[in-house]
Amino acid sequence: MLEDSKVAFFFAKRSIARGNKGTLSLTIVILGMVFVNLVFLPSIITGVAVLFNQQSIDYSYGNLVIEPRKNEIYISNVDELQRKIGQIPGVNGVSPRYITGATVVYKGNAVTPQLYAINPDDDQAVLKIGSRVSSGEYLGEADTDKVVLGFRLAGNEDETQDVIPSLGGVEVGNVVDITFNNGVTRKYRVKGIITSDSYDADSAVFITRKEYESVFGLDNKANQVLVRTRETGGEEAMRITLMSFGVQEKIWTWQEKSANFLDQIIGSFNIINFIGTVVSLVIAVVVIFIVIFINTVYRRKQIGILKAIGIDRSIIIRSYLFQALFIFALGTLIGAAFLILILQILALNPIVFPGGAVAPVVDAPLIARSTLSLFVVSLIAGYIPAWMTTREDILSAIRG
Amino acid sequence: MITGRDLTRVYGMGAAEVRALDGVSFEIQKGEFVGVTGPSGSGKSTLLHMLGLLDRPTSGTITIDGQDVNPLDERARTQFRLRRLGYVFQDYALVPELTAWENVYLPSMARGMQARECSLVCTDILGLVGLGDRVNHLPSQMSGGEQQRVAIARALVNRPAILLADEPCANLDSRNSEIILDLFQRLNRDLRQTIVMVSHEEWHTRYFHRTIFMKDGKIETERRAVDKSPGSGDLLSSP
Repeated sequence: MLEDSKVAFFFAKRSIARGNKGTLSLTIVILGMVFVNLVFLPSIITGVAVLFNQQSIDYSYGNLVIEPRKNEIYISNVDELQRKIGQIPGVNGVSPRYITGATVVYKGNAVTPQLYAINPDDDQAVLKIGSRVSSGEYLGEADTDKVVLGFRLAGNEDETQDVIPSLGGVEVGNVVDITFNNGVTRKYRVKGIITSDSYDADSAVFITRKEYESVFGLDNKANQVLVRTRETGGEEAMRITLMSFGVQEKIWTWQEKSANFLDQIIGSFNIINFIGTVVSLVIAVVVIFIVIFINTVYRRKQIGILKAIGIDRSIIIRSYLFQALFIFALGTLIGAAFLILILQILALNPIVFPGGAVAPVVDAPLIARSTLSLFVVSLIAGYIPAWMTTREDILSAIRG
Repeated sequence: MITGRDLTRVYGMGAAEVRALDGVSFEIQKGEFVGVTGPSGSGKSTLLHMLGLLDRPTSGTITIDGQDVNPLDERARTQFRLRRLGYVFQDYALVPELTAWENVYLPSMARGMQARECSLVCTDILGLVGLGDRVNHLPSQMSGGEQQRVAIARALVNRPAILLADEPCANLDSRNSEIILDLFQRLNRDLRQTIVMVSHEEWHTRYFHRTIFMKDGKIETERRAVDKSPGSGDLLSSP
């Protein structure tokens, strides 16, 4: 077996070294490009997933979200709950908030965005919205007649530049009317504009919890309590810890809260990726198959001679397999080098999605999966034509 | 040492049936240099293919060194060809990407010889055929006669029991043909190498101990050269 492989390798090595360099180089380059294609698109998809995951944590949910029990609108005695959770090791921030719909009006433009009522200091311990003020300032704990708007909601005077219904170009210092769903309407001066890359935050309006409670006559309640943990990834364990500390409300992880949205995005991308991967592998199979097939058909007589002088058919097949593997190995290396170049270029000029800049995630499992799939198709595409040609009767092959 | 009994080889069926061999029987002794000659279509190449285990007879048996080779499966026949037979083709049939030395090295390596032993044997055998100074040349860099000598070296490298040559001089001019035939003669005489060679050149028969004349798939006649016997060393000189 080993002796046979040595002979096959000896033959393959010289066939490569002294064969047609142009065809060989072109084939290797094509394989390299296939490798790039196999790795690049999934790396972007993973990058998008990572981006949206981080967006969910930083701008929407923190790590865990506590919501009222079934059939209840509010979580009661929130201050006590916040104090209790805040003492749990591994918890970095706890932010109770109200979420509601409200109608915001400015110069005749009426929009009904999501309204978040927050404790600004607590909010900034959990989310990063407060750090993304592009104009003016974020809310302070004592602010009762002020709001902060997302830049998409604030909008532009030129409506064609808006991607959602907007207030038509509100700026810091302007006054807007907000009508709450209990019918109360109040005027608020715009204190700041948020530009965060988070679609959710950039389309919302923010007031203080204190103001909200004064409008609705509430005290010490909330619709949601967001929890930020020191490390991401331990949400399940933290959920159990929260329960053991007596939290009886519903506890969601950020993955559960954002699952549908992210699953839809990733699901769509995965279909594109699947098609791209299949097409790439088919190209690889066809190219290697054609190269080896033409090679073997061209050497049909030579293969017959080799068999006639006692070279076993399996040795001949194996020599073509070695040639296919050589093409695979060099193609993968060239593809990897090209991929590194692309990643360097993208590091300098990132691809910007609506959620922000996407960094391609090229990890070991992705490289291993791509390499393995290319390895397998190379073996198949090398084996079949060699097997087909070598099964021909010796005399027929020799006579050509 | 080689015995053929009632060998027939039939191609096609019914009206299109061709009897390439039609009940051929013969014996070839160790150390003999046997020529097989006859007109085109007489069955001489078919007979050589049978002896070379490149084809199977429709009926009849071939025994080489006491072994009936007909029942051997493809893998065993390949091994038999590698270890017991050497084959020289009309058109040299060298691997174009391999040098003279590598073409000879390939079957010895396939036989499982150690690399060092292979190297020594290849160098020796290429020296024996007069190509000691051409070992690193590719076939495209050699003349037809030199290529055929490489092919002979390749056929001999595994010390075969029988060397089979299918019109080895057909593509060569008379000077190179003489070189090849002289080489065969020397190998036969010095190494007691059994050789069976197909030819349709009349003057080649001077080199053979025995010439088998074939016609229409049958042995028409056999002629043994005067004063020649296997290993006698008393051979006619080339013309």
